[in-house]
Amino acid sequence: MGTRTIGAVTVSLTLLALLGSRAGRVPAAAAPPEPPEQSYYVYVCAESEDEVALVRYGPGGAEVVKTIGVGSYPNEIEGPHGITVDPDGRHWYVSIAHGLPFGSVHKYETGTDAWVGDVTLGLFPATLDVSPATGLMFVVNFNLHGRMEPSSISAVEVETMAEVARIDTGVMPHGSRLSRDGTRHYSVNMMGGDLVELDALGFEIARRLPLGEGVQPTWVTTPTADGIAYVTGNNVARVFEVDLRSWRILRTFETGAGPYNLDVTPDGSTLVATYKGGDAVGFWDLGSGVERARVSTTRTIPHGVAVTPDGRYAFVTLEGVGSDPGTVEIYHVPTAERVGVVDVGKQAGGVAFWKTEG
Amino acid sequence: MVRGQGGDTPAGLRIEVDPGTLSLAIGEAAQLSATVRDTGGAVVDDATVVYYSRARRSVSVTRTGRVEAYRPGEFTLIALVPSNPGDRSRRPAARARVEIPVTVPLPPISEVAFARVPPVFYAGTQPRLRVVVTDTAGARRDDVPVMFATGDAAVASIDRFGFLTLREAGTVTVTASVDTESDALTIEVEDNPVASLALEVGADAARTGDVLRFTAVAADEWGRPVPGVPVRFAVGGETAPAIVAAGAPAQIAADGRFVAERSGTYTVIATAGTHTATRTVSIEPRDVAREVEVVGRGKVLDRRSSDLWVWEGTDGRDYALTGTWGADGHTYFWDVTDPANIEKVNEVQVDARTVNDVKVSADGELAVISREGASNRRNGFVVLGAGNPREGVPVLSEFTNQLTGGVHNVFVDGHHVYALSAGRRYDVVSIEDPRNPERVGRFELETQGHSVHDVWVSDGIAFSSNWTDGVVAVDVGGGGRGGTPERPVELGRYAYPNGWNHAAFPYRSQSTGKFYLFAGDEAYPYGGLANDAEDAQLPFRTAGWIHVIDWSDWDNPQEVARYQVPEAGSHNIWVEDDILYVGYYYPGGLRVVDVSGELMGDLYRQGREIARFVPFEPDGFAPNAPFVWGPQPYKGHIFFTDYNSGLWAVRLEEKTGPGRVIGEPQ
Repeated sequence: MGTRTIGAVTVSLTLLALLGSRAGRVPAAAAPPEPPEQSYYVYVCAESEDEVALVRYGPGGAEVVKTIGVGSYPNEIEGPHGITVDPDGRHWYVSIAHGLPFGSVHKYETGTDAWVGDVTLGLFPATLDVSPATGLMFVVNFNLHGRMEPSSISAVEVETMAEVARIDTGVMPHGSRLSRDGTRHYSVNMMGGDLVELDALGFEIARRLPLGEGVQPTWVTTPTADGIAYVTGNNVARVFEVDLRSWRILRTFETGAGPYNLDVTPDGSTLVATYKGGDAVGFWDLGSGVERARVSTTRTIPHGVAVTPDGRYAFVTLEGVGSDPGTVEIYHVPTAERVGVVDVGKQAGGVAFWKTEG
Repeated sequence: MVRGQGGDTPAGLRIEVDPGTLSLAIGEAAQLSATVRDTGGAVVDDATVVYYSRARRSVSVTRTGRVEAYRPGEFTLIALVPSNPGDRSRRPAARARVEIPVTVPLPPISEVAFARVPPVFYAGTQPRLRVVVTDTAGARRDDVPVMFATGDAAVASIDRFGFLTLREAGTVTVTASVDTESDALTIEVEDNPVASLALEVGADAARTGDVLRFTAVAADEWGRPVPGVPVRFAVGGETAPAIVAAGAPAQIAADGRFVAERSGTYTVIATAGTHTATRTVSIEPRDVAREVEVVGRGKVLDRRSSDLWVWEGTDGRDYALTGTWGADGHTYFWDVTDPANIEKVNEVQVDARTVNDVKVSADGELAVISREGASNRRNGFVVLGAGNPREGVPVLSEFTNQLTGGVHNVFVDGHHVYALSAGRRYDVVSIEDPRNPERVGRFELETQGHSVHDVWVSDGIAFSSNWTDGVVAVDVGGGGRGGTPERPVELGRYAYPNGWNHAAFPYRSQSTGKFYLFAGDEAYPYGGLANDAEDAQLPFRTAGWIHVIDWSDWDNPQEVARYQVPEAGSHNIWVEDDILYVGYYYPGGLRVVDVSGELMGDLYRQGREIARFVPFEPDGFAPNAPFVWGPQPYKGHIFFTDYNSGLWAVRLEEKTGPGRVIGEPQ
């Protein structure tokens, strides 16, 4: 009996082997971090399992508290991709990429994880965020379906789960986040190469910032208190630091291969980046602009990252390949040390912080 | 004017919107004016007001408050003042918010018109008149009562359904009205020349499920046929004595087609005015049931299985190809030459989590497998050399271009692959050079929110299954309308009300020559999705059935019959030699159905089921949770994949005597 393989199964094994030679970039940590006294909870999407996992990292380590089946068609993989928790922490929202044919966003109550409602949006809804100013949710319709055609951003009233506006934006909008005051929405068009600012009160595109010829951005962070956002150049291994006031790129960081998702500590001191093509996580000192650590992941294809509100921990998701389980890794941000690992359903992707307890 | 304010913000603002409610005709616009006041009542000049509509496709509102109505109904607009941008607390309530109800009345009726008026009216008959009601928006309206009246009750009267009672010859005007609109129809009622009514049928005895065609012939006093006489059919009778509380055991259509679900004696009554005619027929049980014998297994217990294809390899041996679902991209090749000794001879792993569909070219040389869940998100399909799986299965190529959203189903016809793209369309890809596939064509519906689940090609016609858009037939070389794989031309489409169309199998009946399209549903109307990982191992409840569509005329598809298993929902279909094979979700199993002869009504209740087999497997991926993905009859055996236990080979045992008939005494 013979066996043949094709595609990224083989490729990813090669990359893992290459990564082994870079292990020296991980800094020698000082003292290992103490286990936390509190518990941190995040919700994690398992895109090829149609499942959301509630993961806790606390004094006892990392564990999956529960899993919640999501979607409407048990015999179709519908692909929970992006996830966010309402600013008041009462509800979580998950984007379901595939539908008939349009994807959707489903609303659940945190804690009980009871389904509340849903809304059908565009093709492949991806990242999402809820405005503290208006309570409206903004969702980018990624449309990862092959044809390079302009897509849109949906605005949703979450009380009734009604789509109240759909704004044309560009080709394959992916990463998106609202400003801290919830009045501006930032997203990147992966195949349009630009950062887009949306007036989240008037539902109109305000500004566009081209990121360079051929650049394929996949993520933009929540702007810092100083009005700085960070944008990935996924295919050029760069992260762009954008001043939202002057609407220009201040600095460019050369990163590991395939920077995909980003998050910034609340004090704006550290940027955590997943390197999807490099099977690693990067920790950037934003003061100096230096990558102070790069850590190989325990499984291939890192995807999402969420930093806790105290800036101490970063939860990183790893997709894996085929029937690999997805994985959530927890990093101690100050030391860049991996302090927890727990498996979830296949193709772990979107991750959202819920609460701290204890 | 309506007022609203923030609920829990001490320094809350108030917002007043004028007008506070709106009633707009379709196409009409209005302007909202918002005033924001602080707690002291002073106007806040620079306050931002956000407007939006909860039903933007029915009534819109711009950022400046201009409202426009598009569709009738009751809707709500929102005006709010965002919370303080400087407030960094976790989601304070919007400072002020108000709802503006909007009523868009149904448009007035613009036209009432009689339609499909019979060519002749005879005294003593009860023909029905129909009307079409249209509103000023151009929409056909079936939600308004129509008032009927006649001008001379001595000649004709009419009830609220439009049934005329024609009493005597004469001229009479019939009116139909809705509100202020009406239509008038003047009809000439002729003396009824009918002197006799005869009822004919091709046979006096038949089996359950057999369609008998009754013909009522009205004749004048000289025995000449009288055309155009409205005839109404009815059926009564008795089921076999042992069948108790049978329900409605037989039916007759308006055109005289009769079919019985239960054995017994039935009398068909034809009525034309004062004339009636009756014929009585006897119906025997269909008695087609046979037992199923398990011949062999190709167990797959460590992951779920998906589709299969069985074919004769170029080495003369018989092979089966099966996919896997929600796992790690495996496809298995089985030698099924001896179905009692199924042997896995090869396997291919591709970068995917689900290989949902597998197909093999007619010459047995190439296999095409679909990909979903590829780690690089490029998906597409993979072409394999399948001529001699025992010797090897070379990967010839992969094709991902513009198929990155996932390929759920494929079909191979000649040297073309019909590949679904993310449930949106299907692309036609030439594999004439299997190492260099090339897209040559594409077909996509134009309807709002269209979606496609499957495509099957037969005799140069592609039949796609499109959920709410139903089945669409497209000429890709054999439809006679100039279509080619490069330039598909639609032949026709048929959508049915439940909107669950998931699969389709075209078939020309060997016994009747009729062209039937068997359209299968997939549906989960009961909800009940698993809430945790343990529940995920439990089978889920499903619904849906097989719709039988007589599609002899592309422009006039007629849904004539159904095969609906009460306890389970349908999945994939195969029809061969006038036998329907269907895979069912738990606990339906495999069903084998006699579809010979003309088809009409409820095939399940007619006792047409030949066999059922439910493949329980205690060591299955989910134990004892049978879900037959799809069957394929092949060289005297029935092969099928079960989602939780892999490949099965079964056969029908010879019939040795009367068998079980659903609903009949044993």
